[in-house]
Amino acid sequence: MGHGGDKGRPSKKHKSSSAKEDRRATVVDDEDAYYAEELDEDYRGEGKKRDFSKLELKPDHTNRPLWACADGRIFLETFSPLYKQAYDFLIAIAEPVCRPENMHEYNLTPHSLYAAVSVGLETETIIAVLNKLSKTKLPKEMIDFIHASTANYGKVKLVLKKNRYFVESPFPEARWFSFIYLLLVLRKLLKDGVIAAARIISEGVHGSDGFAIGKSLGELENGHSELLNEAELAAAAEEKETHSFEVDPAQVENVKQRCLPNALNYPMLEEYDFRNDTVNPDLDMELKPQAQPRPYQEKSLSKMFGNGRARSGIIVLPCGAGKSLVGVSAASRIKKSCLCLATNAVSVDQWAFQFKLWSTIRDEQICRFTSDNKEIFRGNAGVVVTTYNMVAFGGKRSEESEKIIEEIRNREWGLLLMDEVHVVPAHMFRKVISITKSHCKLGLTATLVREDERITDLNFLIGPKLYEANWLDLVKGGFIANVQCAEVWCPMTKEFFAEYLKKENSKKRQALYVMNPNKFRACEFLIRFHEQQRGDKIIVFADNLFALVEYATKLRKPMIYGATSHVERTKILETFKHSRNVNTIFLSKVGDNSIDIPEANVIIQISSHAGSRRQEAQRLGRILRAKGRIQDRVAGGKEEYNAFFYSLVSTDTQEMYYSTKRQQFLIDQGYSFKVITSLPPPDTGADLSYHRLDEQIALLGKVLSVGDDAVGLELLEEDPDDIALHKTTRRAGSMSAMSGAKGMIYMEYNSGRNKQHGQKKAKPKDPTKRHDLFRKRFV
Amino acid sequence: MCQIIKKMPQVKIIAKNFMDMVASLPAMKLDKLYDNAFICEAILRSLPPLAKKYVLQMLYIDEPVLATSIHEWVLADGESKHTVAVDRLVQLRVFVETVDRKKGTTYRLNTKFQINLQKHIVHGGVLPREPMPSTITVRLPSLEDLEAYAAEQWECFLLHLISSGQAERATNFSSSMMKIFQRGLLSQRDKEAPKLTESGFQFLLMDTNAQLWYIIREYITNSEERGVDTADLISFLLELSFHVTGEAYNMNTLTDIQRNVIKDLADLGLVKLQQGRKESWFIPTKLATNLSISLSDLSSRKQGFVVVETNFRVYAYSSSKLLCEILRLFSRVEYQLPNLIVAAITKESLYNAFENGIMAEQASIDSLLYIITFLQQNAHPRVAERIPSVPENVTDQIRLWESDMNRVEMTPASLFDEFPSRDVFEAACDFAREYGGVLWEDSKKMRLVVKAEILGQIREFLRR
Repeated sequence: MGHGGDKGRPSKKHKSSSAKEDRRATVVDDEDAYYAEELDEDYRGEGKKRDFSKLELKPDHTNRPLWACADGRIFLETFSPLYKQAYDFLIAIAEPVCRPENMHEYNLTPHSLYAAVSVGLETETIIAVLNKLSKTKLPKEMIDFIHASTANYGKVKLVLKKNRYFVESPFPEARWFSFIYLLLVLRKLLKDGVIAAARIISEGVHGSDGFAIGKSLGELENGHSELLNEAELAAAAEEKETHSFEVDPAQVENVKQRCLPNALNYPMLEEYDFRNDTVNPDLDMELKPQAQPRPYQEKSLSKMFGNGRARSGIIVLPCGAGKSLVGVSAASRIKKSCLCLATNAVSVDQWAFQFKLWSTIRDEQICRFTSDNKEIFRGNAGVVVTTYNMVAFGGKRSEESEKIIEEIRNREWGLLLMDEVHVVPAHMFRKVISITKSHCKLGLTATLVREDERITDLNFLIGPKLYEANWLDLVKGGFIANVQCAEVWCPMTKEFFAEYLKKENSKKRQALYVMNPNKFRACEFLIRFHEQQRGDKIIVFADNLFALVEYATKLRKPMIYGATSHVERTKILETFKHSRNVNTIFLSKVGDNSIDIPEANVIIQISSHAGSRRQEAQRLGRILRAKGRIQDRVAGGKEEYNAFFYSLVSTDTQEMYYSTKRQQFLIDQGYSFKVITSLPPPDTGADLSYHRLDEQIALLGKVLSVGDDAVGLELLEEDPDDIALHKTTRRAGSMSAMSGAKGMIYMEYNSGRNKQHGQKKAKPKDPTKRHDLFRKRFV
Repeated sequence: MCQIIKKMPQVKIIAKNFMDMVASLPAMKLDKLYDNAFICEAILRSLPPLAKKYVLQMLYIDEPVLATSIHEWVLADGESKHTVAVDRLVQLRVFVETVDRKKGTTYRLNTKFQINLQKHIVHGGVLPREPMPSTITVRLPSLEDLEAYAAEQWECFLLHLISSGQAERATNFSSSMMKIFQRGLLSQRDKEAPKLTESGFQFLLMDTNAQLWYIIREYITNSEERGVDTADLISFLLELSFHVTGEAYNMNTLTDIQRNVIKDLADLGLVKLQQGRKESWFIPTKLATNLSISLSDLSSRKQGFVVVETNFRVYAYSSSKLLCEILRLFSRVEYQLPNLIVAAITKESLYNAFENGIMAEQASIDSLLYIITFLQQNAHPRVAERIPSVPENVTDQIRLWESDMNRVEMTPASLFDEFPSRDVFEAACDFAREYGGVLWEDSKKMRLVVKAEILGQIREFLRR
């Protein structure tokens, strides 16, 4: 919340401002581990007990589903008959904090309210519905907060109509006072020099003040109609008059800038009236009849196309819930050229495949643009699938690429479809958005980093969150797999633990707890069990490259990591999918995102990226795609749990600490981790590796004899943001830095970078040029 | 996998029920109790089924019966029940045992008990006192109101018990009486605020009936100090349990002592006192009429109110201050709403709970079970049917946290180093080993850690 709750935070931010400077300069950081911590303090603060017991209960409170607290926290009973309506409403106006089975918690934040306003909810509607649902009288603080947060949002829209940009302000006829107010808004905007200069005064304007008056459809679909009485409903649905003025297309970016919260603070909503866009050529594509969007996919689309126009924004769906269908549907509805951005080349292939799978798009209308595929579609409209890096790349390009980039730059895109927006930093977005001209931007993600008031304009770069699905509801509906999560505790062997504790091995700690023989044995046991007893397909994740290679070689399983070429990756993935002999693959963190392996249903995680909740969720997402028949999957069916997620942790090491942090996101989504304390079972395991002490000691010798470089440096080159060796460094920082808004580099896996790799490897870093942080580690 | 402990630990700090307490009275007092026909009936009711059968069978036998013949009444597989029944009857002095070397053991019914019970059977039961006619007692509370009143009184009393500042109303109990109740539940080191002991911790997590027993027991055991005869008190309490819930009984039917007692009982919520224009009367609540029922018989539970989620959050549908205090024992209370308390169980909050009392390993396991049982027994109807009602990952994790805490065993110890020579070092080691006091030795650097209790002997030994 914007007020009240944030006392004392500024001091925390400044606690180490010098460290913050470092943060800007470095590309390596412990963003996730830190983020989780911050959240802890913000949302679960000790000693910040809140007593709202003096709120007045309504006499019929048992029929109402929620409590609203003055600090913005909202509790929702999921067993209330009004749950479904209340959930749809809350997800539109508030940020979910946790959503387990019986009681959900939400937070009202300025950003969530901005999102609410942008999907067409009005301040009074928000308050009225909230009041209807609440068991108590709404606290005055909350009403004030809603007023304050929504005062400026949603009052101005930027609409691209027939290729003319209009700044538009809706005018609800029945309320003359709002009318005055809104005219004031437009006037206020025009007082600004930049905006006034950008205004185009056309001939024949009518209406007061020379604003053009038009009509736009009221919000028809907002789903909360049953909660409002008729009069309120009529006000919401009625056709609304809008006042607008036109701005110079060349100045649009500047006008938008001026409207951001740091300037005039009337952030503009972007809407694309694609039906009336006659300038950009139509793309002939339809959804195929067999593409039946599921209810939640429909819902998210309806949020996007709520008033007949296309809104920009972000849709949050868990992995495996069918994000690509939502993307393809959106493109098919807009029917204009579409630029689709993915995180890596494998995922580019998959997106292209999805387009062809779900829509009637013809082969020549869709093309991929990666370092290996440099195509451009024929005809005057089409779909281009590429990576963020290909578009944002600042260096010299080949002639061929340059030509395609030129194409992309010059075209007016109907839809900019952005996959996995949570892993792409803001500066990358800025670059992409400045290079490409698009009418509508749709971001897709499984785990939106939660915003609070310190996030900067990431929200405004793409748009507000339009929809977020509830994981447990999707599991219950059988849309995603019901995963049994387990944390396997592997005690360190005596010898490994002794080395772990030694000061001189501080750089090898990770290698030591990952290579813990007990962990290896647990992993081997699980692989055997799932391969032989259940015939499952298994992915083993290891962030630590040394461990990845050791494990995979010892167990004789294929592996994919950063240096694996695109061709080889594809080959391995194909065999994994189709061969009955290859049932287990080892992946480094390149497998975290967007590599679609629908066959896999077991994940074993042997090492991970410090306290990253996002990575944990993402990895879980690899097996969320529902398999088998739906009636088997739902609760009580014979395959109630048909997917398994094991996280192997060495007890008494840092890993335990991180493990708790990592699980937080999933736990908040209602998942529970079962702790398994003895694997392999005590009476078995003689046939597993490292059963004998001398083997264990030999392994220990190997880990210790390998140079620090091998367990660390190579990893850093593989993923520039890797934090494996530096996870103990924790610094204060702002939320915007966590979310990428400060321009940090996030994970980026692009086969196009292989070349850079080569160069880097050939030329070891000059120690003097190393960043402070790293220098410490190398002296 | 985590070990699942199936059995609840025996409740150590309380007698299981009223009859246990009766059974522990000295023979003289017991015999005196049986003067009262109600007591005889109450005792009969409380007996295990087989014991009841024996009593009825022997009701009209005036001769002692051989133990061996009674033994013949049961089939072979009823052996254990038989033993329990006879033991109980002897304990309560319902059976008077005579051991004769020649004839063997014989039993006969306690004469007073027998006569009273015979009378009872012939003439039928009479109520201990007649309820007042409704013409005098206007505006009697409804049963629901009465139950709410009882719960409120009880809660208020408990709040007084654990922290006098929290309660809204004053109590009738003298501070010395309160101190007696608090004995064993709270501990106070000089000048610090009183802290709950492990028994106190467990006490708070028990259900109301169990708590009530504890308090009543303390109340009875200390009755002599207040000049009230224990047997009188017990007989009055038992008598009370034969009254009808919700009816009004005239105060002037009570003796002076009983009148004092009834004021205390009103404080506990066992009775409600009302004052008419001329008369005054007391109305027994459920708490009073439940007194003679043994704990295990209590099937009717009040509706639960706690929801525990897989993310360790606890939602309690209640506005009770006491409950809030109880939750605070092992969780972190985050929000208090008019009818909801939101809390979170964390490792820290649990460790806090275990450190509250000075707990040995067993005690912390017990407390843990009390916490889990508390959460399970009070499960909200919404989750009560779910098995388990408290998510497995939460109970598992609580156990793991607990066992984690006990991984380190603390032993007071002393370190010896800088031995003048290896011989002295080795001799010291041998000496300590003989006493079983070696905790750690490092022969390279000649250092030795021994248990503190043999410090004296070792010093003595080294001096020589």
